[in-house]
Amino acid sequence: MKIVVCIKQVPATNEAKIDPETKRILREDVKAILNPFDHYAIEEAIRLRNKFGGEVIALSMGPDKAVRVLREAISMGADHAVLLNDRAFGGSDTWATSYALAKAIKKIGQVDLVLCGKQAIDGDTAQVGPGIAAHLNWMQATYVMEINILSPHQMRVKRMNEMGYDICLLETPAVLSVVKGINTPRVPTLKGRIASDRYEVPVWTPADLDANIDNLGLNGSPTRVVKTQPPAPRENITKIIEGAPQICAQSLINELRLRNLL
Amino acid sequence: MLHHIENRIYHVEILPPKQDTEKLTADLALFADKYNKALEIGSCICLTDNAMGNLAFQGTEVIEELELPVKSDQVMIHLNTFHTLEDLKNILNKCKALGIKYLLVISGDGSDRLPKLQAADLNLTDTTTVTSVELLSYIHREYPNEFILGVAFNPYEPAEHEFHKLERKLKAGAAFIVTQPVIESNEIINQLLNLYPAIPVVIEAWMSKKLHLLSEAVGYEIPENTEFDPIETLKMLHKIYPNCGVYLSLLSFKTQFDLLSETWI
Repeated sequence: MKIVVCIKQVPATNEAKIDPETKRILREDVKAILNPFDHYAIEEAIRLRNKFGGEVIALSMGPDKAVRVLREAISMGADHAVLLNDRAFGGSDTWATSYALAKAIKKIGQVDLVLCGKQAIDGDTAQVGPGIAAHLNWMQATYVMEINILSPHQMRVKRMNEMGYDICLLETPAVLSVVKGINTPRVPTLKGRIASDRYEVPVWTPADLDANIDNLGLNGSPTRVVKTQPPAPRENITKIIEGAPQICAQSLINELRLRNLL
Repeated sequence: MLHHIENRIYHVEILPPKQDTEKLTADLALFADKYNKALEIGSCICLTDNAMGNLAFQGTEVIEELELPVKSDQVMIHLNTFHTLEDLKNILNKCKALGIKYLLVISGDGSDRLPKLQAADLNLTDTTTVTSVELLSYIHREYPNEFILGVAFNPYEPAEHEFHKLERKLKAGAAFIVTQPVIESNEIINQLLNLYPAIPVVIEAWMSKKLHLLSEAVGYEIPENTEFDPIETLKMLHKIYPNCGVYLSLLSFKTQFDLLSETWI
């Protein structure tokens, strides 16, 4: 199987800042990490490759320093990585981003499966995976919690919904976005890290992708960020439970159950 | 472990490089330098396992990669419950292959990125949670007579609870105890020494000048204006606990290492 994993470098959640003028996330001088949900997509791709053979290619669009997250994918066990990096990509919304990624997937060629994390923790849109499928006109499933490869051209996936889960049959090539519970992502080994540091990540520009420049960046983005604001801080409430130990323990259990924490 | 105490062998904590380091080569070189220095003076090198939940490389893989010498009496590996079963087996098998015999078995600090051992991984049916007790039992069962296992003792937890936990750890096979860091005589540790005179106890000495970090690590507030000289405190701890080993956490190899020979008089 040839599997492409689309990954993103995002600001560490507790360090994100927003430009008051442009309303965009300020990415410079902020600690950047691999989008946490993408670990699950990388892990799933590696597991499928290990089981069925083939190769895993990590793909990302971003600034120069996004090379780090691609190297992280290599250190986990991806075979190759590609970075889409050019000024023309800057300012892309999810539609323009998924267009660029789709063009890169076409250029890679003979891809059976594209995996994404369920969403990025900066934009939280969950739109890029479905956008890639739309641009490629491939089948897709979101919030996937289990993948079963039935044959070289067919797979059955279990996807989460509000009430439980759906079971879907898909034909390859397909695009899947995966959820946290699908696996336990491996922690890179030192050997993997050393190998990834030596890996030269190829950088592709719009010209390499044969992409229409009008479909990229701000020009190719039909959406605009009109207003952003931080979420209201959560209210911390301290409740002191008093009484005999057994009664306190029972009260604590009740409180946790009331909040669906048990 | 008694041999360490009788021969005044320090336990020197060294943190393996973090996974997210941008200067891996330099960090590995620094690690090797500290390791070799500590080995040379006869200390027991204690390698942490994702300390404070921060992702780091495993001590065993760093030793292997850098081809560092291992003297079985001079290396101790921390091992916590935040691993997959496969990784746990890898670490234990590497320890065995490298001739490392001391393991400090702890529950550990997790993070979103660290997997947690599940009860089913260890074939446990009577509990749903894996703590250091279950991990101790597993190592004893699967690697009989391969390792000498130690456990942590936290004098800042409610004493009754902590002593109860310690009993379970000792029943599960713990052969020595390492305390949380102290900077003065501690009543609960004194009780520990009276209750278990036959078990080797290693006192952890806080070697960083940053006392607020100790407050964060152990969860009790130390007044900010507390005067603290780590080397003088270390000397004092030797006097207070002459029959205990000493574990040095956050030791500065630049400013403190060369002074160690003068501290255990």
